[in-house]
Amino acid sequence: MKFVSLIIPLLFLIVFAVALLRRVKLYDCFTEGVKEAVPLLLSVFPYLAAMLILAELFEASGLSRMIAEFLTPFYRLLGIPPEISSLVLIKPFSGSGSTALLSEIFSTYGADSYIARCAAVAYGSGETVFYISAVYFAGAKKKLLRPILISLVANFSGVVLGCLLLRIF
Amino acid sequence: MNAIFAAIFFAACLLFLFSDPDLFLAAMLKGGQKAATLSLSLLSVYCVWLGFFKVMEKSGAMGCVSRAMTPLARRLFRTQDKEAISLAAGNLSANLLGLPGAPTPLGIRATQRFLAQNNGFAAEMLFVLNATSLQLLPTTVIALRLAMGSASPADIFLPTLLATAFTTLLGVLLLLAAETCGRKRRAR
Repeated sequence: MKFVSLIIPLLFLIVFAVALLRRVKLYDCFTEGVKEAVPLLLSVFPYLAAMLILAELFEASGLSRMIAEFLTPFYRLLGIPPEISSLVLIKPFSGSGSTALLSEIFSTYGADSYIARCAAVAYGSGETVFYISAVYFAGAKKKLLRPILISLVANFSGVVLGCLLLRIF
Repeated sequence: MNAIFAAIFFAACLLFLFSDPDLFLAAMLKGGQKAATLSLSLLSVYCVWLGFFKVMEKSGAMGCVSRAMTPLARRLFRTQDKEAISLAAGNLSANLLGLPGAPTPLGIRATQRFLAQNNGFAAEMLFVLNATSLQLLPTTVIALRLAMGSASPADIFLPTLLATAFTTLLGVLLLLAAETCGRKRRAR
């Protein structure tokens, strides 16, 4: 773990040192980059807001819990512990929501239990698909359904594989 | 996306009508509040990384990274555009290293560039790569397990790595298959 925490400071150090050697004006250059931050955020914000409001409705209305319960037999068939079904369902929508669920599972079942380890792999192998689509395709007119569906299918297969692997390891 | 939005919105709205109508607006406002706080933290992340990337670009280090990734990126994204390749290559490297927040600004700009060139396939490919998680080290999970008193917090490393490598590979293959099918149908 110690080595990993060195990556970021070293990266900055090396890049800035190279820039200095090449006579780049560091201050001018850095501020020029930061200038793009606000326009970038503005272009993304409407989609981000809509997606997060939707994620909140999805969870708070109990809809996610209902779907999770409905899917339980299907999950059991695929070897996914039903205890993590809400996590699998929330993960594509909300990063903070799934992090909260993950720590809840850890404290309920113990961080070293099979269920907690499945939850950890389910959390780590997937991504917040809808959130990324909102940010990356902000304002794009192209059809979005294909890449979203593909990513969801791939991530779900990853959860199935992860739970299977954890029985072996 | 419009269909998904409408479906979830109506289903949730109906559920609120029958359970607790007072909580409906509260939930929406909470979502809006999350958007506001998240935007601020995103802005701080963009400030640091966009500044850093500009320095990296001017120093020529970005050119090195993209040159190293070019043969792979050309095949993956089917483009010759150097600027787009260097943005996408930076996005992929930042993902692999797990630099928190760094992939997003590069990914957005690469996607915008791909779409402006009418290269929808490349935008989709970049999205699938990002949305199936490329991270080599699941830092959040390990930190959380450590905090919860796990005996060996990093023992999920290998299964997670295998699962995430599998998801990315499957995503890329599915997209390639879908693209080939779509082309054949258009040709017919």
